[in-house]
Amino acid sequence: MSLLAHELRLLLRHRLTVAALALLAVLTIAALAAGMAETSRQHAAIAAIPAAQAEDIAAVADYVDQSKDAGSAAYYSFHPTWDAPAPLAFAALGMRDVSPYMLRVRALGLEAQIYDGDTFNPELALPGRFDFAFVLVFLAPLFVIALFHDLVSSEREAGRQRTLDALPNGGKALWRRRTALRFALVWATLALPFTAAALIEGVALPTLLIVLDLIAAYLFFWVGIAALVGRLQWSSVANAATLAATWLVLVLVVPTLANVAINRAIPVDQGAEIALAQREAVNGAWEIPREQTMRRFYASHPQWADSPPLGTEFHYKWYLAFHQNGDASVAGRVQAYRAGLEARDAAGRALGWLLPSVGVQALLTRLAQTDLTAQLAYQDRVRAFHAQLRDFYYAYLFRDRPFGKADFARAPRFKDTPDG
Amino acid sequence: MTEAPPIHIDALTLAYGTHRVLDGLTLSVPAGSITALLGGNGAGKSTTLAALLGFAKAQSGTIAVCGVDPGRQPDLARKRIAYLPENVALYEHLTAVENADYLLALSGERQSKAAITDALAAAGLQDRAWDQRLGGFSKGMRQKVAIAVALLRQVPVLLLDEPTSGLDPRATADFNALVSAVRDRGTAVLMVTHDLLSAADVADSIAFLEGGRVAEAVPASGPDRFDIRALHARFQVGADRLAA
Repeated sequence: MSLLAHELRLLLRHRLTVAALALLAVLTIAALAAGMAETSRQHAAIAAIPAAQAEDIAAVADYVDQSKDAGSAAYYSFHPTWDAPAPLAFAALGMRDVSPYMLRVRALGLEAQIYDGDTFNPELALPGRFDFAFVLVFLAPLFVIALFHDLVSSEREAGRQRTLDALPNGGKALWRRRTALRFALVWATLALPFTAAALIEGVALPTLLIVLDLIAAYLFFWVGIAALVGRLQWSSVANAATLAATWLVLVLVVPTLANVAINRAIPVDQGAEIALAQREAVNGAWEIPREQTMRRFYASHPQWADSPPLGTEFHYKWYLAFHQNGDASVAGRVQAYRAGLEARDAAGRALGWLLPSVGVQALLTRLAQTDLTAQLAYQDRVRAFHAQLRDFYYAYLFRDRPFGKADFARAPRFKDTPDG
Repeated sequence: MTEAPPIHIDALTLAYGTHRVLDGLTLSVPAGSITALLGGNGAGKSTTLAALLGFAKAQSGTIAVCGVDPGRQPDLARKRIAYLPENVALYEHLTAVENADYLLALSGERQSKAAITDALAAAGLQDRAWDQRLGGFSKGMRQKVAIAVALLRQVPVLLLDEPTSGLDPRATADFNALVSAVRDRGTAVLMVTHDLLSAADVADSIAFLEGGRVAEAVPASGPDRFDIRALHARFQVGADRLAA
């Protein structure tokens, strides 16, 4: 029997060790299963879009076909966009639980449609999802503490340390071997279920390897902390208390305070405020002379300036023009909001170089494409698609071309990724 | 040419900070003999063992275990030493056989289960205890497991730290018989103890430490055998058992 096998037998004879590893395995598997269920639900919802969309458009098309009015087509037809979860999203759901991953847009004002999604309940968002990232970042250190806090002190307290040190290979080599074994067990308890889930979800091999390295690096950090505390030669109880306090500070207190500090240092409007401002601009437009609205619109969209003048009756091109003017009126706030979010995100990621718990979360959500960057990229794709929608409907509206049932098939379709 | 004794210490000086614990200690333990090292608290008994195990480094003098300086080559020296601390604490979750197997593996000297059970039997551990976990073992039973490991390792040096403290007279007698058997295999045994009577029972010679050096070394048998009461009166050791 090899020395490692001896150490493994010794370790697994401790019921608490076995219970701790079993609990970590259960939590890991549960988190992975929850993440996979969530992404599966999102995939299913996205997969259901074409059928539902066809049904919706068919109903609108029947109505529109009677009047041939492109304005009615633009007003009543919703066009789906979606952000399919990346293969690794199951491991770190990130912002996908609070930011919409599906958005049905109309060719009306866009900003209110985008930022309506920001009105989630912050209390629900606060605890975050129970996913693999949560288990790794928040819970795994506790298991490292459980397995490592008494690595040496328990031998000292049991009166065995002198005996072990007196053996030819009982000194540093023994502690290195025991450390490596415990480390490997905790790592394997996290990594093996994760690898299985990643293979099922089709995560690319390089990404998988990066995450496995990340797990090892994060655990190594906590093992290092435990080793440093162990060098102080305190009792096992004192070691455990010190490590638990360190966990509290490094994983909960400092990141929370840093988040508060970042938010105070970089003030950002609420997205819902932008939605409200855009709606107020749109509603106010009913009171503005129509010619004034059109002049403003044509100034920014000269390609439609040769459109026939408005008559006395309601015309959708005026309605869509003041929606677009509404978007333009909040463009500055939108830019500032985005810049603020990006600045906060950059500050958070910079903090990750100092706080491994923050860094690991940031890297995992980046790899999983569930972070702010991914969310903003989705918004960019929605904006690009919405611009195509506007151009499509404007070509009918501003040229007074009739819009028939067959024209719906010519409408632009959203592409999930920039490459299509 | 005479072979050097397995334990050889000459004019050894060792201090912890400014406190000099060993001050010119000279001591030799030949192969196949038992030397009992006695002395009051702070006399330097445990420090002598620590120096032999390479835990404490001497400032001057020489110390050798089978020719190896434990201060310079501790692992090499420890390969030649079996050490039993005062309280033999082994792993309670492992059986006697598993404990022996593990300690042997740590020492780099693997043995078959048959060899281990033979050694446990030779150490006097009853066969029904071989596959029992050590949770309920007495100190004497634990010592037998540790002695079995020492027997299997076939080391030339056995260091014992207060081995009979806490043992009843019967267990002490059993242990002394066991140590004598180890001695008879050619092992050099150095036994640190407060127990003068036990030392007198088992040792070939007795060295008294005082102020970090051997104040007196006497044979335990033969015409020059020491006068136990005179030694007690001088060094005040083993008072509890003498009084009894």
